[in-house]
Amino acid sequence: MLFNSIDFVIFLPIVFILYWFVLNKNLRVQNFLLVVASYVFYGWWDWRFLSLIIFSTIVDYTLGILLEKEENEKKRKLYLWTSIGINLGFLGFFKYYNFFVDSFVEAFTFFGQEIKVETLYIILPVGISFYTFQTLSYTIDVYKRNLEPTRKIVAFAAFVSFFPQLVAGPIERASNLLPQILQKRKLNYCQSKDGLRLILWGLFKKVVIADSLSPIVNDIFANYETHSSPVLIMGAVFFAFQIYGDFSGYSDIAIGTAKLFGIELMSNFKFPYLSRNIGEFWRRWHISLSTWFRDYLYIPLGGSKQSKAIGIRNIFIIFLVSGFWHGANWTFIFWGLFHALLFLPSFLLGTNRKYKNDASLSSFNILKVFSNVYNTLLTFILVTIGWVFFRSNTLTDSFAYLKIIFTDFSVENYIHPNGYRIIDYFLLLLFFLVYEYIIRNNERNPIAFKNRYLRLAMYILLVFLMLLFYDDGVDRSFIYFQF
Amino acid sequence: MKKILLKFIVYSIVLLVSLELLVRVFHLHNERPERYADEYGVEKWVPNQAGYSVTGNRKQNVGEYRINDFGFNSVYNNYLPSKDSIEIAIVGDSFIEGFHQDYTNSISRKVEKKIPNVKVFEFGYAGYNLADQLNLMQAYNHLFKDIDRVVVYIRFTDDLITGEYKLSNRLSLNTPLNKLLKRSKLIVYAKDIGFFDPIKEKIAAVVNFSKGVSGDIHKKKNNDSLYLENFKKLVNFYNYNKEKNILLVDYSLCSQEFLNYLKVNDFRTIDFNADFKKDNIPKTLIYDQHWNDAGREIIADRIAEYIKNENLSIR
Repeated sequence: MLFNSIDFVIFLPIVFILYWFVLNKNLRVQNFLLVVASYVFYGWWDWRFLSLIIFSTIVDYTLGILLEKEENEKKRKLYLWTSIGINLGFLGFFKYYNFFVDSFVEAFTFFGQEIKVETLYIILPVGISFYTFQTLSYTIDVYKRNLEPTRKIVAFAAFVSFFPQLVAGPIERASNLLPQILQKRKLNYCQSKDGLRLILWGLFKKVVIADSLSPIVNDIFANYETHSSPVLIMGAVFFAFQIYGDFSGYSDIAIGTAKLFGIELMSNFKFPYLSRNIGEFWRRWHISLSTWFRDYLYIPLGGSKQSKAIGIRNIFIIFLVSGFWHGANWTFIFWGLFHALLFLPSFLLGTNRKYKNDASLSSFNILKVFSNVYNTLLTFILVTIGWVFFRSNTLTDSFAYLKIIFTDFSVENYIHPNGYRIIDYFLLLLFFLVYEYIIRNNERNPIAFKNRYLRLAMYILLVFLMLLFYDDGVDRSFIYFQF
Repeated sequence: MKKILLKFIVYSIVLLVSLELLVRVFHLHNERPERYADEYGVEKWVPNQAGYSVTGNRKQNVGEYRINDFGFNSVYNNYLPSKDSIEIAIVGDSFIEGFHQDYTNSISRKVEKKIPNVKVFEFGYAGYNLADQLNLMQAYNHLFKDIDRVVVYIRFTDDLITGEYKLSNRLSLNTPLNKLLKRSKLIVYAKDIGFFDPIKEKIAAVVNFSKGVSGDIHKKKNNDSLYLENFKKLVNFYNYNKEKNILLVDYSLCSQEFLNYLKVNDFRTIDFNADFKKDNIPKTLIYDQHWNDAGREIIADRIAEYIKNENLSIR
């Protein structure tokens, strides 16, 4: 079920009313409703893959309890690796089997050996990368004795399958989400109001920014050979905003919906295009995944506390794994490598943590203002180059795309086959950027003006823009569903 | 909860009223003239209406229309063929009706600019099929008999679904409820941009499910043979004048069987498919299959070229 579908418009109020006004007396029943609602939400797409979630839930629930009881370290390790093996095994099979088979065959062909291994027709279960990492974090935390496992299977099932963030995150930690599910919740006016605002803002980002840019991006990337540098730059910049609008829009709707059920999810985006270096960008983009890798991969590998060489190795590992997490394609791996290379200089110079979580470009010092604007622009350009790898179908395409950007400067009047008025999109992005700058320190409450008339004006403007940019013909699914 | 619900309702009302105002202020909505059936049982627009037709979102295409005394969109107040000049009629559906352009820039006006001393009368009405068109020509035979050439536009896939004329049910859409809903420009705009389509599709899916209809409801049957049969029936029934009438068709939409039939039976045709595919310039509107200015220019070119080659002289 998509957040931006009529199904969800019907589904959400029904669950909300049942949750708060019919089944609110008993926490266990309320959690059971969350599980059922989540399974309906997921099964709406393909009920057969519910079995994977249920199996993963039972395995990690059982192993969590066993890990708590067991004192023998060898056995505990065995339980941990069983969980990792099963979860990553599913992920590996559904997401990477064909990739490994193809790459294996290509490698042999390269060395002159012809081998024949059949690939399989495998449907990728929506959200598998997200809930797999979520359940893994639970087992690892329990193994490290950072978290007490729950014995309440319904609550655990609700934690694994909580529908607002089930298919595209934020990837929640058990230490944040599980205690909230285990606690009695109360309908809170302010929380619900904030939730509705976030849903509106998320819908705006999805419907207006991402969906309206999508056909233009698709056309430019599909026919990049026929265009010159300015058009390809426009395509890459539009994609940068498309993917941001799409994914952060989804996250906002997820966080907003969770608020309606009295649950606070972690922030997933903090205005990443206002970042002043790559280190800051990664503290603002897909935060739940970045911090997951930091906590469960980078730090266990030694992080940056040991030698510089180990630190560099670890950086390459997490960026490559992060790229590979996105999909079974060399383009994603190269995208990860590209970001590792971008990150490396600031890591070596020790400036990767220079900018903390304030996105302010302003300062009383004029030189600092220029420096901030310059750094923000430079970071955006580098990130956008990275998106070309991410968006292209093959590595060859991405390099060819970039080659045209840097070599063919001929002026061209871009006309989309549907004849879209391109100026509208530039004006839209200008409005979006200015507004993002205004709300730069408040990603969890993007329409939090003190003046109620200003707030009302914003609601009207956002819905009006949705009406202006609503495109009946676009594919309305979310990009990150494929990951 | 009461507070949330109350605020939600109040905000929703304020929002809807504001959106209604904004849609009106920016004139994003489409205006449609009223329909009626005249004394001959021919469905037309009520004469002497004017307004602006808006297609797509963000007002990306606006056309001014003007319904004349006869009930069609045209620069001419009435259609009075004279023996002292050459007159051509173009009969067709919404593509010819041309609410997607200013009435002063219609296909007919474009043709007139390309052939001096020729008057081109338009008989375009959204939803007309070949049966409607031939019925109109028969009903107003006293007018059409004085017109030198009649260009009849048909879309093979849409306009041959019936082999006999019946008054359409479009007139029955003028229900009081529909009239009331049309008063909200926000609803008109939202409907036109397809905002309600997912709801309609959902309702249709539920209805089909309850009726036990399964499978792909969008899957179309191949009706090529039926269309050809309907065409034969209609041209026979209405005694189609092959000398005077010229079919304007997109060959790429037609079945080979149909094209062979036209050729073997000496139907005069104008095909514009090749010109439409010549370059990458869009020939249709954004979010809409109707011809844009570039498309209409091509149509006018093809008609003008054909008429010029005939060397028509004043009778």
